[in-house]
Amino acid sequence: MGLTRILAHLAVNSTHVLIVEAPGHWLTRVELEQQMALRGWRAAWTPANADVLAVCGVPGPELAELAERLWEQMPGPRARVDVASPAVVGSTLEDAATLLLDTPYHRADARERAQEPRIPEDHGQMGHGGHEGMDHGGHEGMNHEGMDHGGHEGMNHEAMDHEGMDHAGHGGHGGMDMAPAGIALAQGGQDRDGLEMDVLHLPLGPVLPFWPAGLALLCSLQGDVVVDAAASVVDGAGHAASSKEPQTPPVPASAVRCDGVMALLALAGADDAAARARRARDALVRGDQGAARDAVERLHRTVRRSWLLRWSLRGVMVLDPSDLARHDLPEVCRGDAHDRLSSLVEGLRSEVCGAVPAAVESGAVPWERMPQLVTGLELATVRLAVASLNLEPFSTVQETRHA
Amino acid sequence: MPESGVVIVAVGWAVLAGILLCALAYVAVTLDAVLSARQLGVRGGWTAPLSRAARLLRQRRRTTVAADTLLWRVGGAGMFIGAFLTVAVIPMGRWVLADPDVGIVWFNVVDVMVWALVWLTGWGANSAHSLVGGYRFLAHGLAYELPLMFALVAPAIAAGSLGVGDVVAAQDGAWFVVWMPVAFLVYLVGVTGFSVWGPFAPALAADIAGGVLAELSAVDRLVFQAGRYLFLTAGAAFSVPLFLGGGAGPVLPGWAWVLVKTVVVLAVLVWLRRKVPLLRPDRFMEIGWMVLLPAVVAQDLLVSLIVVRGG
Amino acid sequence: MLIGVAFWVVAVMAVASGVAVFVVNSMARATYALALSFIAVGVQILLLEQGYLGLITILMMVMEMAVMAVYMVMFMGMNPALMPMDMTHGKKTAIGASVGAFVLLASGALFIPWPQRRGAASEDLTRALGLEIMGEKMLVMAVLGPVMVATIVAGVVLATHRTRYERFGDDLRRHPANDPRQGGVGR
Repeated sequence: MGLTRILAHLAVNSTHVLIVEAPGHWLTRVELEQQMALRGWRAAWTPANADVLAVCGVPGPELAELAERLWEQMPGPRARVDVASPAVVGSTLEDAATLLLDTPYHRADARERAQEPRIPEDHGQMGHGGHEGMDHGGHEGMNHEGMDHGGHEGMNHEAMDHEGMDHAGHGGHGGMDMAPAGIALAQGGQDRDGLEMDVLHLPLGPVLPFWPAGLALLCSLQGDVVVDAAASVVDGAGHAASSKEPQTPPVPASAVRCDGVMALLALAGADDAAARARRARDALVRGDQGAARDAVERLHRTVRRSWLLRWSLRGVMVLDPSDLARHDLPEVCRGDAHDRLSSLVEGLRSEVCGAVPAAVESGAVPWERMPQLVTGLELATVRLAVASLNLEPFSTVQETRHA
Repeated sequence: MPESGVVIVAVGWAVLAGILLCALAYVAVTLDAVLSARQLGVRGGWTAPLSRAARLLRQRRRTTVAADTLLWRVGGAGMFIGAFLTVAVIPMGRWVLADPDVGIVWFNVVDVMVWALVWLTGWGANSAHSLVGGYRFLAHGLAYELPLMFALVAPAIAAGSLGVGDVVAAQDGAWFVVWMPVAFLVYLVGVTGFSVWGPFAPALAADIAGGVLAELSAVDRLVFQAGRYLFLTAGAAFSVPLFLGGGAGPVLPGWAWVLVKTVVVLAVLVWLRRKVPLLRPDRFMEIGWMVLLPAVVAQDLLVSLIVVRGG
Repeated sequence: MLIGVAFWVVAVMAVASGVAVFVVNSMARATYALALSFIAVGVQILLLEQGYLGLITILMMVMEMAVMAVYMVMFMGMNPALMPMDMTHGKKTAIGASVGAFVLLASGALFIPWPQRRGAASEDLTRALGLEIMGEKMLVMAVLGPVMVATIVAGVVLATHRTRYERFGDDLRRHPANDPRQGGVGR
């Protein structure tokens, strides 16, 4: 008993939290991240590594269902908390910590839940005329529904094409089960070099680290090149406005942009610079002018001096004036990811030095443009590209408009 | 190998070597956690290795739909075991567990095992992100492994032997790092590479939700992560006999110098992780083949010329 | 004695995992069963006190199998991740050929009058082996290397459908090259 208790108390000090951010609850998520840092807790990127599932804000029906699925995939001991507003973050984390220490409860939880991973039933009922169990054609058997982690959640299965059910041509491989564990064969397609290659449908978002809250991008991959994509917003775009808590204090536009900078730096793997951006963001949210100026200056210096960062972001989704015109994008999107990062950081710097802050919407890219923009990019580049754009912030825009 | 100057100790000492390796890896985890906490402006991190291990030991193991559990577990467990195999040929001052005449090749074999182990871990989970991670690692492997091999060749040429003891003995006059700095740097690149560390961690990156780690939990995650730190530590420790003169140094005994040098190299590697962004495999491939490989081959040529002239 | 036992254990392991290559129903498992078989052979060579050859065998084969797994997945035209599939083709011919080869080699090994050792083993086996292989045949080795590299390069050039004109333009002056994916050096 003694050892179990010691283990539990030690373990709680490095709790990992999987954050599900409902659109419109940016501030709650940021407050949660701050409180987590104070406790030495860290963000989990997938349910596999999460002890706590924290749903920020009031999720719509679609997001709630996703949260339920993520919850199912968590290994346990596990605790689930709903963080309705920034004000309750502290107490909910305290509750989560207490619950995590309750070993007998978790023993019981482990006994009661399903012992084997499974494919959710709704996937079998998608009514594709006799193709039950095969309607994941494009998933190449790798997207293990039922265990699909953060990045897979929110998949828009309706948007998936089901050409993968054509198994003609695979007949040569005798003696194999065409759909082991209910996952069917992949479909082939011409890749950019004119070779036939499997197509995998991989949903990105809406629960994914450093990803715009609520956005789901269903990518068709060949290798790791995106050959096609479809974008959607979880619970539809309208839900964010209704679920937003009215008493939310105004969100400084510069803090939201700083959060975007942090996401891009974190995805590029520049941990130090990302941590700087995060401190700047937190200072901006607090409204601490002196600290914010200091932090943004340091961030600016770090980004400007890092030639390795430039090397790694150079040439990521280059948009020249003709691309901008074609996709109807704002002028600030010009250049590659590094240009956009630089201009973002420059903008932040002039704002903390007293320039009039630009509105959140300025330079924003409507999320509907994403499919055209990311097609042809490689998976890692897609993530950098998305993070380098100021996507129409459907999560925060209402908060600031009302402010 | 009469003049190599190392004493082979009894097998029982392997336990101590293993404990030492774990202790050094513990230091590395702590250092990394403290640096991370400081960057976020909070204190703490000193107990991170203990609490992280406790958390993962307490967690339930989980599996995924249609996972290849055997290969998955082999990958993780292999990462944990692999690093210990390296330590067998690293002399602690005068003492070493084994000094085969092909010690450097032994090290190389163990680090190549990582190719298979990381890929297997990525494969076994049957998840798209983790498989992408596995492939990213192989792409990196293709870029860093050959330069690493040629970097290992340089000390061997200078010592005229593939035995680690002979390499240490050959550094009586000047440490190899002095006249083969390129090989040393490329070696460190290789160490970060096979430890899937820092700039070489796109296989575990945030953009693919943790990649190879995406579906790992509980003890499976613990052994894989511990394996990475152990490999990093073993790589740092092996740089000491190879380039940093082994136990040579004033006042302190040889084993103490080996420890000090190892900790310094390890600390630099841990510190660098936060400073250097990810080297994306598609970008790094050209660096590996068009910059590192020619540079280290030139280094080998230089070393060979000096050896031929001198001896 | 101990070495003899170890040798036989490893030998059985090598054959068993070799058989496993055809018995298992997944590509990844088949690939790594083959790798295990090669590792066992490498350990046998180590037991024969050929340290360098044994380690190099293990090193090369593990690397090769890691790369082979990539190629198998790449060229299968369908996702083999989970598809349990038969790893054998043309069974009768294959079994006949392999059993024949095995009998031939095994009977050769059993019936050949192996020579007795003359003289003592060299102090440094790796060096002796190197001299034996490379000493008089250095020219062959020196030629073989470049030929192999040239073969690889030629193979890649023939396999790719993009030529330098597509990369650098008709006058070969475009800079940087027009590649679908930019490299890290900025050519």
